[in-house]
Amino acid sequence: MRRFLLKNDSFMNGKSPQNELDLDLQFGPPGYARVALRGRLNARTTVTCWDRLQQELRDAKLEKLEVDASGLRFCDGAGLALLHYLNMAKMTPSATVSVRGLEPDLEKLFLGFTSGDYEAFRSAARVKKHSLPEEIGESVSLAVADLREQVSFLGNIVTSLPPSLLDPKQMRWPEVRRVFELAGANAVPIVSLISVLVGLVIAFESAQPLAQFGAQIYVANMIGLVMVRELGPLLAAILLAGRSGSAFAAEIGTMKVNEELNALETLGLNPIRFLVVQRITAGILLTPLLTFYATFMGVLGGVLVTLILGYPPALIFHQLVSSVHLSDVFLGTTKGVVFGAIVSAVGCLRGLQTQQGPSAVGVSTTRAVVTSILLIVIADAVFSVIFFILTK
Amino acid sequence: MNGSPVIILVRDLKIGYGEKVILQNVNFQIRRGKMLVILGGSGCGKSTLLKNLIGLYTPIAGEVWIEDGNLVAAKGTERLRLLRKFGVTYQSGALFGSMTVMENVRLALDEFTALPGPVKDLVALAKLKLVGLGDASQRLPSELSGGMQKRAAIARAMALDPRILFLDEPSAGLDPVTSADLDHLIKELAHHFGITFVIVTHELASIYNIADRVVMLDSRTRTIIAEGKPAELRDNAADPWVRRFFNREPDPVSAVHSN
Repeated sequence: MRRFLLKNDSFMNGKSPQNELDLDLQFGPPGYARVALRGRLNARTTVTCWDRLQQELRDAKLEKLEVDASGLRFCDGAGLALLHYLNMAKMTPSATVSVRGLEPDLEKLFLGFTSGDYEAFRSAARVKKHSLPEEIGESVSLAVADLREQVSFLGNIVTSLPPSLLDPKQMRWPEVRRVFELAGANAVPIVSLISVLVGLVIAFESAQPLAQFGAQIYVANMIGLVMVRELGPLLAAILLAGRSGSAFAAEIGTMKVNEELNALETLGLNPIRFLVVQRITAGILLTPLLTFYATFMGVLGGVLVTLILGYPPALIFHQLVSSVHLSDVFLGTTKGVVFGAIVSAVGCLRGLQTQQGPSAVGVSTTRAVVTSILLIVIADAVFSVIFFILTK
Repeated sequence: MNGSPVIILVRDLKIGYGEKVILQNVNFQIRRGKMLVILGGSGCGKSTLLKNLIGLYTPIAGEVWIEDGNLVAAKGTERLRLLRKFGVTYQSGALFGSMTVMENVRLALDEFTALPGPVKDLVALAKLKLVGLGDASQRLPSELSGGMQKRAAIARAMALDPRILFLDEPSAGLDPVTSADLDHLIKELAHHFGITFVIVTHELASIYNIADRVVMLDSRTRTIIAEGKPAELRDNAADPWVRRFFNREPDPVSAVHSN
């Protein structure tokens, strides 16, 4: 017969009487053991008790384990859980376990939870795994459904936009003005900074290699063309997507989560006409202006570099005017209009597609920015091809 | 009846937002194992008072004693020790949406105890079983009904076996049957665990059913207007507004007369 006694001073060095627990473990005749618990079995003492019991019972070949809880003065949820664990014979798989001596109230709680509940949880906890073909199929079907929604949304806008533009009452111009200010005017400082810096960097980076061929003055030509045709519209559109496309998605998404969209529908107002048309109109109107501005600031950055390199302003101006044609400006502006429509429409669509749940609005804003940028780049490529064919 | 020790003591509490005082001269106490209901008309500061009691907001002046510590003055580890003495459920349930119900309940156990994994699972499962959600442990909060979410929130608040539970509008938005179930659960918990409850609610049926005492707030005087047992207040309150509240009578001044 072997006896193992754990006195309360093993816990918290006996400082706090709240942590008192005596654990008395006796190994009797072969295959039999008895655990007697006295004192307070709480979240702290349970930890030490668990460690000791694991250590002692792990290698013991037991047929019968008796747990005597009659000495417990206090037992909380953690203590009960330990008793449950012992009672389910999880520590001593070969033994039959009996827990006795619990106070009537505790006994009632103890009996209210069975090993069946635990096993049901354990089996449910096993994560369902999808196979690769299943996952691929699911994402393809999701992508197709999304494409269908985009097309239907486009159709909705095409049918809603002209009547709204013709009827000032439906249009809610003050809302257009508000969006114009938020997405356009308020974006001017960040557009200025980024465009000037991009212009500066490109000019600096290209000045060095061009100097090797004595062609440094062509920095001005290059910066003019690049900014007017490509980077001006792209910078404006990408900034718009990050600043305002995401805001549209979050705003409309939150409205959807709060059932404000349902309220609009039941008032007989079409959310597309009430919310989306204004944002797209504002987007189409403001992006060309923002594009012009981004282009101007970018060119300014480049011109600064050429001035620093020592070229006279008149020469730089001449180079710029000779390289940039009206058709280039026209291309840049058209791009601005299209990009503006893409960003605002995608922002609104993703907002309207918002699902329920706490992360839904976050997901919508992310999707708005990603889809906007993707479509902007695709549209840019299409523009390049069309322009190439037209000017051939 | 009054033998159990005082577990919460609120003394000269003055609360508000910035300069704006919402409630002042708030004094009351709660004995262990009792249920106190905080009542009042809409906008009288019930939820604000609750947020001050649980330490989310700092009162302008006054003390909130939770057993042996003043939560208003407590800092650092002392504050944490006091916070661990109570659990809170919020009006919307406020379950963490990205976690399963089980993970919601286990969170406090993972963070604040060194218990082994299976014991934590068992503690959390036992709490969920207690509130009748034993088979919903793997579901996400969004997959639960309103009543189930409130019960899951109670299970989460009880994870560390607190002595006090603060419930903000537990039966708001629930049907009468679910609401009665919740009342029953609250009574059971108080009975079995000796948990003290502080409940903010509007449900008169609940109040008669569960409350030992009621503290009634008033937005006009910005303080406690009545305190006592609900049935006593209904029949004998000095203030006519309190009697009207308990008898669900309309305000004679603002009542709309059809003729």
